[in-house]
Amino acid sequence: MKIPHTIRVGALVLAATSFYTYVGQMVPQKEVQPPQETVIRADLTTDDMVKVGREVMDNKGLCFTCHTIGKTEGPFRFPDLAGVDERAMTRVKGLSDIEYFAQTLYEPNAFIVPGFNPGMPTINKPPIGLTDQEILCVIAYLQTLGGKATVTLQTSHHYYTPAAAPGAAPGAAPASAQGAAPGAPPAAPAAAPGGAPTSPAAPAAGAAPVKPAAAPAGAPAPTAPTKGTR
Amino acid sequence: MNGAMNRKLLFIFGPITGVVMFAAVVIIATLLTNREYKEPYRAPAATVDTTPRTEGLTAEKADAEAKAKAKPYQEVEYRTFPVVGSRVAIWAVAQLHLLFAAFVLAVPIFAFIIEVIGYKTGDQRYDRLAYEFTKLLSTSFSLTATFGAFLTFMLIILYPKFTNYLMSVFSPTFLPYVLLFFFEAFFLYTYYYGWGKFHPLVHLGLGLGLNLVGTGIMLIANAWLTFMMSPRGVSDQGAVLSVWDAIYNYTWMPINVHRIIANVAFGGSVAAAYAAFKFLQATTDEERAHYDWMGYIGNFVAISAFLPLPFAGYWLAKEIYAFSQTLGLTMMGGAFSWLFIIQAVLIGNLFLAANYYLWLGMGRVEGMQPLQKFIKFLLVGIALCFAVWATPRSIIATVSEIRAMGGSAHPILGYLGVMSAKNTAVNILILTTFMSFLLYRRTGKIATVAWAKTGHATQLAIFAGAAIIVIFLGIYGYFVEATVRIGLSVPQVSSVLFAMVSITAIDIFLFRGASMTGEVRWGRMPAISQYVLIFIAVTFTWLMGLMGYVRSGLRQHWHVYGVIRDTSADAFTPTLGFATQVVSATVLMFFALIAFVFWITSLHDRPDYKGRERNRQVREHAGAGDVGLTEAS
Repeated sequence: MKIPHTIRVGALVLAATSFYTYVGQMVPQKEVQPPQETVIRADLTTDDMVKVGREVMDNKGLCFTCHTIGKTEGPFRFPDLAGVDERAMTRVKGLSDIEYFAQTLYEPNAFIVPGFNPGMPTINKPPIGLTDQEILCVIAYLQTLGGKATVTLQTSHHYYTPAAAPGAAPGAAPASAQGAAPGAPPAAPAAAPGGAPTSPAAPAAGAAPVKPAAAPAGAPAPTAPTKGTR
Repeated sequence: MNGAMNRKLLFIFGPITGVVMFAAVVIIATLLTNREYKEPYRAPAATVDTTPRTEGLTAEKADAEAKAKAKPYQEVEYRTFPVVGSRVAIWAVAQLHLLFAAFVLAVPIFAFIIEVIGYKTGDQRYDRLAYEFTKLLSTSFSLTATFGAFLTFMLIILYPKFTNYLMSVFSPTFLPYVLLFFFEAFFLYTYYYGWGKFHPLVHLGLGLGLNLVGTGIMLIANAWLTFMMSPRGVSDQGAVLSVWDAIYNYTWMPINVHRIIANVAFGGSVAAAYAAFKFLQATTDEERAHYDWMGYIGNFVAISAFLPLPFAGYWLAKEIYAFSQTLGLTMMGGAFSWLFIIQAVLIGNLFLAANYYLWLGMGRVEGMQPLQKFIKFLLVGIALCFAVWATPRSIIATVSEIRAMGGSAHPILGYLGVMSAKNTAVNILILTTFMSFLLYRRTGKIATVAWAKTGHATQLAIFAGAAIIVIFLGIYGYFVEATVRIGLSVPQVSSVLFAMVSITAIDIFLFRGASMTGEVRWGRMPAISQYVLIFIAVTFTWLMGLMGYVRSGLRQHWHVYGVIRDTSADAFTPTLGFATQVVSATVLMFFALIAFVFWITSLHDRPDYKGRERNRQVREHAGAGDVGLTEAS
């Protein structure tokens, strides 16, 4: 029996599309949900912040789209993050690890790690748009990669100063980043009635508000921080 | 007798169907009307005594009415499409609109070029061929417009708030768009119906106008969609700062160029599929020869446009990275990275099929044997490049397999999954296909110019040089930093383009006045070659659907990337498996509709009804005569 050409052509179209659909089923299937806002409680300890920071980096921050941790062999798209805190302490002269991390997140093109292209997005702006508190948590996690987490939710840095925490001790200034860049504007001496911790290493006792009145998202840095070699 | 009876039945069947359908509509309408809510009967108010309860009810009703009247207008953000959901509905309609639009924009480009060749050479075959291509346009244009209107209404219904925003940003572009669409209709129908009715130059002017207006329409529509991907000219909150900046955003020009080239490749392949279908149905050698030639030209157009397409793709990807590294990395290294493995399978198939068709085509020409020996080398080259391109960087494996490999990348094959290897593979694929074209072009010809030997040697040297540069830079890419590696694709691409242009230029002069060892016997092609052309068209269509998905899906949970967030239930990015199912469904719908276009077009050449009746009667009489003779004998 001779099969009409129309039927053969129809069968060919169907077979080809079916084959390509089959190929589509063979690759990894991942449904990507819109990023969920991470709830950051006011009483997070530094250890908690480390966990939250990792979660933010995994999800909303999309950090591991580009970065790796502990990859030993190239090619590298962007710097591997293993031991990054150790490097952060000395990467840019005059910047502490916290200030350096803040700079890479808020103003990523200020310093480009030699051997890599610029490519890091401004993390506190859309499409990623992390909040200042989420960024502090990310910094806390990054500190654990080669160092010890010292950040609290009251830590201020060049790009962010926590607002007054209700219940904090009168007259107490918020913790500032260790070894802040000389010449950088001092952290706003916002009163922290109720006793905000003065030591960065101290846990966030005294409960900072969940959403302190942060600098508006995307607000430019007050002054350009110290630039490193590009 | 049976045929005549059938026609009478059909004649009666039509009105009966009409009456039945009308009756069905009346019955359904009656049923729906009867089901309408009716107030239960109540005694007239005057006869009812006022009680505290009735007073309370009246006050409640008055209050509800007052609240209803005072309710402010609120813009609906989203509406839901039944069964498949809003996103899939919009996706399918948009894809069908784009496929028809691509076809309608592409066919006039090469119909015009073919007509120009016919005019310059005086060869009427080209003119007929251009007309044959143009015949496909009329119905396709109507379908494009229908799907365009469908898409607009669907956007307004399902995504009213976002559509309103987009319309407010691009409001100055809509009237020019409508005006251009009107001109498009004018030029298209005048070009088609005016074939042979005007001076050739006037007709060519109409064709040129059609192409210019069509391109203008595409540029405007591209501004809308590229703005969604790489917005510019608006504030962080979405307020319009500059309409021109919104139009001339990062990806607008690369998409314009990419789409023009891709449209030509796609249009050529669909036109070749039409020719293939007609070839398979042809009953005479003359028809077969004509449609074989038409299929060859359509495929030639498709593959010629397909070869530079990856370069336009590089540019587009570069601009995506320039706009946002996050967007670029989501595309190449994030959620969509596996999509490019599917793309590699499609493009590998396209290269294989295109080369196979060319190799089969050599059989049309007498004296093809000397060149046949090269085919096996080309096949091996294509297969190797295909394999490299389709190798993923990380492999789906079990935990123990990953442990054994020392990571998700295979210790050896993993090296083939990175861009250095893939760029090399695609460039060699392009060179190999170009070589097939060259061999096909030379089939049955012997160069007679005095410098023939030097010419051949020069061509070979350029080809080998380009291949060596591509492979060397591909390997070199493994040993340098990312900053250097990214830049290596430029000399790779440049050397391939240089080889293609220079070898073609030499070839033109080399085979000027060449002696022929045999003629091209159009129509002498095995049927399988025509199925290959149809397969190429399906693959191109599927590829367009897939790349349309990545372009749009790349925004993930944003309507306008980084500016207007998608907060609908469909804001998530579906799995690739689901996406390929939707792509397949739209491809099948497109081919069902294009079959309708082919059928409508074939009516053009069908003898009129009276003529067919006369032929049928003649055949019946002849048949009766045969039967009579048989019985008499």
